Amino acid sequence: MVEDNMPDKKTVLICCGTGCLANNSYEIYRELKKRVEAAGEDISVKPVLKTTGCNGLCEKGPVITILPEDIFYCKVKISDVDEIFEKTLLKGEIIERLLYLDIKTGKKVKSHKESEFFKRQKKIALRNIGQIDPANIEDYIQREGYRALKKALFEMSPDEIINEVEKSGLRGRGGAGFPTGYKWKQAKKINSFPKYVICNGDEGDPGAFMDRSVMEGDPHSIIEGMIIGAYAVGAQKGFVYIRDEYALAVKNVSRAIKDAYGRGFLGENILGSGFNLDIEIVRGGGAFVCGESTALMASIEGRVGEPRVKYIRSTEKGLWGQPTVLNNVETWANVPVIVDRGAKWFSSIGTEKSKGTKIFSLVGKVNNTGLIEVPMGVTLREIIFDIGGGIPGGKKFKAVQTGGPSGGCIPESLLDLPVDFDSLDKAGSMMGSGGMIVMDESTCMVEVARYYLKFLSEESCGKCTPCREGIRRMLEILEDICAGKGREEDIELLLELAETVREASLCGLGKTAPNPVLTTIKYFKDEYLAHIKEKRCPAGVCKELTSYRINQELCKRCGVCAKKCPAGAIFSKPKSPYVIDNNKCIVCGACREACRFNAIEVMGRREG
Amino acid sequence: MKIKIDGLECEANYGEYILEVAKRNGIHIPTLCHTDALPGQGSCRLCIVEVIEGGKNKVVVSCLYPVTNEIEVLTNSDKIRRMRKNIIRLLAARAPESEHIRKLKEEYKVPEEKRFNVDKGEKCILCGLCVRACEAVGVYAISSVNRGITKKISPPFEEPPEDCIGCGACAQVCPTGAIALKEFEGKRVIWDKTFELVKCSVCGNYFATCEQYEFLKQKYGLEAEEFLCDKCRKKSTAQKLIF
Amino acid sequence: MIESILKRYPKERRFLLAILQDIQRTYNYLPRKALNEVREYLDIPLSSLYSMATFYRALSLKPKGKYVIRVCDGTACHIRGSMNLLEEIKRELSLLPGEITPDGKFSLETVNCLGSCAIAPVMMINERVYGNLKPDMLKEIFSSLGG
Repeated sequence: MVEDNMPDKKTVLICCGTGCLANNSYEIYRELKKRVEAAGEDISVKPVLKTTGCNGLCEKGPVITILPEDIFYCKVKISDVDEIFEKTLLKGEIIERLLYLDIKTGKKVKSHKESEFFKRQKKIALRNIGQIDPANIEDYIQREGYRALKKALFEMSPDEIINEVEKSGLRGRGGAGFPTGYKWKQAKKINSFPKYVICNGDEGDPGAFMDRSVMEGDPHSIIEGMIIGAYAVGAQKGFVYIRDEYALAVKNVSRAIKDAYGRGFLGENILGSGFNLDIEIVRGGGAFVCGESTALMASIEGRVGEPRVKYIRSTEKGLWGQPTVLNNVETWANVPVIVDRGAKWFSSIGTEKSKGTKIFSLVGKVNNTGLIEVPMGVTLREIIFDIGGGIPGGKKFKAVQTGGPSGGCIPESLLDLPVDFDSLDKAGSMMGSGGMIVMDESTCMVEVARYYLKFLSEESCGKCTPCREGIRRMLEILEDICAGKGREEDIELLLELAETVREASLCGLGKTAPNPVLTTIKYFKDEYLAHIKEKRCPAGVCKELTSYRINQELCKRCGVCAKKCPAGAIFSKPKSPYVIDNNKCIVCGACREACRFNAIEVMGRREG
Repeated sequence: MKIKIDGLECEANYGEYILEVAKRNGIHIPTLCHTDALPGQGSCRLCIVEVIEGGKNKVVVSCLYPVTNEIEVLTNSDKIRRMRKNIIRLLAARAPESEHIRKLKEEYKVPEEKRFNVDKGEKCILCGLCVRACEAVGVYAISSVNRGITKKISPPFEEPPEDCIGCGACAQVCPTGAIALKEFEGKRVIWDKTFELVKCSVCGNYFATCEQYEFLKQKYGLEAEEFLCDKCRKKSTAQKLIF
Repeated sequence: MIESILKRYPKERRFLLAILQDIQRTYNYLPRKALNEVREYLDIPLSSLYSMATFYRALSLKPKGKYVIRVCDGTACHIRGSMNLLEEIKRELSLLPGEITPDGKFSLETVNCLGSCAIAPVMMINERVYGNLKPDMLKEIFSSLGG
């Protein structure tokens, strides 16, 4: 597998994905570069320094990997650079304290491959990320890059390519899971030109950054996929639609497109095949709804991102009324590997109806937050506890939210569900684009439902009544509940409205909007009842239904809570335990987080 | 091809919308954002029906769903009635002043709103017909503004629209009477913009704005020899034809 | 100056969003004068431009601050305390989302997911990303920018 392909030359890979960048990883690269250049001819082996895309283990960033020994260092600081240079690069010595500590085994590991986090993953879409410099097309080519393109153009016919993709069982990775090969087949059938291919890089689900990492870290995998797809369906123009907030992705994909043109992989008469394709980038305008395919196309056309009904599919009438194939970033990234290695190999991974792997962004209250790629069918429990390392601070797992605002919250009792396109649907959620947000006992599930509705009320395009007015009123009810103004009939009313919003809305945004509410009512009804009947928030989050009290017996009078309190609401008389003044308290939870003795108790609405 | 609507067999052409077929066969499906001149908004969702196709049951809007197979359609099932009732409830909370919506409320037995904060004084249901009408005339004076729950219809910068010619097409096409058009003393006011009206040279009634004539001249190169209102123009044309 | 932005693009509707974004980046908002020039160049009605400007979050009709603070309220950041960050900003700079300080130095927005969920809660000030934030870290960040 290409992921095992490692250079023999001394190489240092420094992750410069957004997470590590925010922690000064680029400065680390510059420092190291200075050291290497300063050493000049004095060192026998001059290491190659590469900045790479997101490695996945963002929690432990900045991360660097030293090859060929395959040493993995995490939480690297600029002050460590000298030591890394002297000890590891020059002498091959390992610096213990920088090694990754595997939570499950409690041991330090030398190579990332030995950690529970990485061991259980299978990187197909992420095959190159963290190993290559995304701005260097040569790196991509050296790792079997553009080999599939050559095979597709010169050894296969368009029908054969579509056949292969169909046989592989690849389904759209953007969330809907539509069979990719079948989609391409529909578009190829239509005898109307021009045709278009689009890459949906408008990743809008909060908590998801899979597509960002692929666009930043391995843009050529997308481009190669698109060229193959365009050739198969007969399109000569492609668009990569990238969300406005992803400036680095825009930069790296632009660079990759430019380099691809330079090498004759794009443009006229690609590699002498007679096939032409132009690809350009379109930048989003800051609208979640533009991740919906018809809204995205409206946006490319220079209009507002309002979806249209899909009774006539986009493969028949899409961009400017022409046959269009729109696929997600991750879907395109899988295409070259399928063409290269064959459908049989790809379909040997995963489950019966969900082939291949899926990238997930595992975030929230989990130890190993970051990006992972696993075969379809791995269970939620394995992902959260084995790969993710469980819940930090010894807290208890409460729910995992999958599928973004279109998905739902899954409780502990269903953790053994396999993750694939269909299994989570039965629980009322969906796998979606891959966002996986872990929640613990300090998360209020009613507030989570309110949060998602608030998000959707602002992101909805506002065109159709059920979505615009339905979400608005469901939000009104949830805000009332979280503020202690909930009524007995509210749950019934929420379920009633949910049906109308789900069935009568125009597009996917509206149709799936009720899911967070429906799943939280289904699995966490007791929380709703506590809010409505007892005017109490069990998790201690809803400020109007929560007050904190310091247990006078447990208080050790360390005073840490008072120091942390931003409102100056905690005080004590001399030699007495601390007390919270509820009139000043803003219920921010800082004291609760700081107290090492669990002395801060969550009570219901403050009286008076 | 033949399709079934509420048990009745109907003839339908390939690609025809269910709403058209239903109308032709005397089956009434309620609508708000639909008008024959400007079909296909698909925003109010009142015209939803159940379609049984290929063994699958789905809810679609009849104003936009094209007939491509021998489907079965249910326009008034319990499920549809239930959802329509909710849509009307939502619209009534949004536009409580609208007479048309009040009638629908009565018909579907939607009780007085006690749970939601109603938008007092509001009539607009954001169906988008006014914007479409303005586009069809070729003026583009108003558009939809913002998105989500703050969406509204407005002229640019919420000021009296520069481009508006006062034709009143928007007010005429609005299903809830949400656009105010006032006329008095030879003037017309709409969208807070005042227009001078033109008199019919035959009957003396005010009937159109100067700006409308200006627009026709600029955009289509049409110039009027004399100002005639609709009625008088028809008479005059008829007379010309007879003689 | 607006002319130089317009000249970069063919006179086609599909470049409207890109043109508006370029103007936004140059002026920090969409001046009315600029919209009129776009209207001329692309032959698109003002009402359509106004629609676009109010639909897309990346565009604004009012100036943004010299330092645009974007607090991520994506789910991961939300459950890791983004609301507390907003409250702290309210205390420090008297700013609510959508507002700008009287001296035009800081403006505040909430954004729905910056894609840096692993280092939640996250805030961006212009192009710089700050992660793993706690409310008591904000004061120093703002003072370093002169706040």
